[in-house]
Amino acid sequence: MQITPLNPDFAGDVTGIDLTRPLTPAQVAAIEAGMDRFAVLVFHDQHFDDDTQLAFSRNFGELEISSGGEMAKPEDRRLKLEMADISNLDRDSKLRTPDDRVRLGALGNRLWHSDASFRAIPAKYSLLSARIVPGTGGNTEFADMRAAYEALDDATKTEIEDLITEHSNAYSREMIGFPREDYGPHNQDKLRPVRHRLVRTHPVTGRKSLYLSAHIGTIVGWPVPEARAFIRDLTEHATQPRFTHTHQWRVNDLVIWDNRTTMHRARRYNDLRDVRDMRRSTIRGDAMTAPQQQAA
Amino acid sequence: MHITPLHPTFVGEVSDLDIAVPLSSDQAATIEAGMDQYAVLVFRDQPLTDEQQCSYSRNFGELEATLIGQMSKPGERRLGPVEIGDISNLDPSGRLRARDNNRRMYALGNRLWHSDASFRATGAGYSLLSARVVPAYGGNTEFADMRAAYDALDEKTKTEVEDLTTEHSIAFSRGQLGFDNYGEGNADMIRPVHHRLVRTHPVTGRKSLYLSAHIGTIVGWPVPEARAFIRDLTEHATQPQFTHAHQWRVNDLVMWDNRTTMHRARRYRDLQDVRDLRRTSIKGTEPAAMAAE
Repeated sequence: MQITPLNPDFAGDVTGIDLTRPLTPAQVAAIEAGMDRFAVLVFHDQHFDDDTQLAFSRNFGELEISSGGEMAKPEDRRLKLEMADISNLDRDSKLRTPDDRVRLGALGNRLWHSDASFRAIPAKYSLLSARIVPGTGGNTEFADMRAAYEALDDATKTEIEDLITEHSNAYSREMIGFPREDYGPHNQDKLRPVRHRLVRTHPVTGRKSLYLSAHIGTIVGWPVPEARAFIRDLTEHATQPRFTHTHQWRVNDLVIWDNRTTMHRARRYNDLRDVRDMRRSTIRGDAMTAPQQQAA
Repeated sequence: MHITPLHPTFVGEVSDLDIAVPLSSDQAATIEAGMDQYAVLVFRDQPLTDEQQCSYSRNFGELEATLIGQMSKPGERRLGPVEIGDISNLDPSGRLRARDNNRRMYALGNRLWHSDASFRATGAGYSLLSARVVPAYGGNTEFADMRAAYDALDEKTKTEVEDLTTEHSIAFSRGQLGFDNYGEGNADMIRPVHHRLVRTHPVTGRKSLYLSAHIGTIVGWPVPEARAFIRDLTEHATQPQFTHAHQWRVNDLVMWDNRTTMHRARRYRDLQDVRDLRRTSIKGTEPAAMAAE
């Protein structure tokens, strides 16, 4: 197995390994070490089905239930609960229509975010497998939150060191005008904000990173508009071209990213005409980043 | 009078002119021609009273009242005339606003890229901003050239945006920051208006993107799809090659054309440093794209 850096210390292209077969502990360790260094790893020509993807994913920890899956009614799911359906297809595998609520909610993925930052124990890795890709567009972009942190001036580093943010899926969706009511009454409790540190330290490398996400709605102790304006400024800083990498999908690509140290977003494609079928498995993190507020 | 370019596509610095005294019609015409070319003009060392600023501004059209002036009760205003926009962090008694002050919250919306008064049916023409007190650190104003941003779009996108109509309201930009406290009796001032997304300058004939944080949707589009698209366009239009940062000195006057630019304020230590800028705005003359329903 070989890793070719796509940028210095951010995003590596991996060759010489078939991920659809059982891996040795040494191979798993090599991938984890690559993740610690590069935060995003790209593998081509990995012919996964859902079962082999989930089996491979379990090498890195416990699987997380997809939030889209758990919010959907069972009869509306196209995939199993551990597999997030990152596609523009409905349960009958037909293209979603312009006003489809799931389509509109999924447009929140066009905002820079870290997966499942709205959970008290947020995600570790996400693994995204491309089964069908559109003719044009639909890239995924990644931003290196370690490099973004390191490039902050010292006054800003000091200012943010101990800040605690509040994250909820409702905030990112509100930004694009998808009302929280549209998640349905049975899902409102899943929108309750959780708290995270704005500056995280990676458990293995000890590198600090900015824990930003479109799911952030405020900073604890700050007036909301001031918090949002500041988070926007930090997000703009952190997603400058020098911190980002664009992945252009080919069928059977698998990309793994570390949600603790990166943000990502999807770009536009002609989703009313072209099929884009991606399947995401997600690895649970192992700890909260900050104490949670007691539920009222 | 001389204009020096400060950026490859827009922004000029005007020298050898005193704008505190009445201008000849030739001088006013030269400035208008400069605005058509540069979209943003910077004048240094122009100490102005509010009256002088109003007089100078009237060379370019009728003055417009500021929205926040219209929405405030007289006792809430620090500056007398509603034509003088109070772009400061001071309360009516001239003291720094407290952290959770409602006017401070409202003003934070200026940190988003916008075109002044795009929430009015006619938009705004020029804005003119005069720096009376500037903070020690931060508080720059950044400008983006919406003509260059339009020109740089690919042909497919130009075709797609050509006839789109957007809805603008002050409530959309403030809603993004979680602000919705406008006070009683102001509901009609936050009603959305319609504008074309692509404008053509009446003098130069150049096309530009009419973007603003006040945009809440595109007519006929699902709201989330519209907002995601407008965000992408805004990100495109505010890339470094299309923008210029103005670092304020006392007695600077900067005027910009809201029909062809966006701008935003940057952060400063507003709980500690005074920043007192005064804005006049010239009424827009362009009719709305179509009557709002």
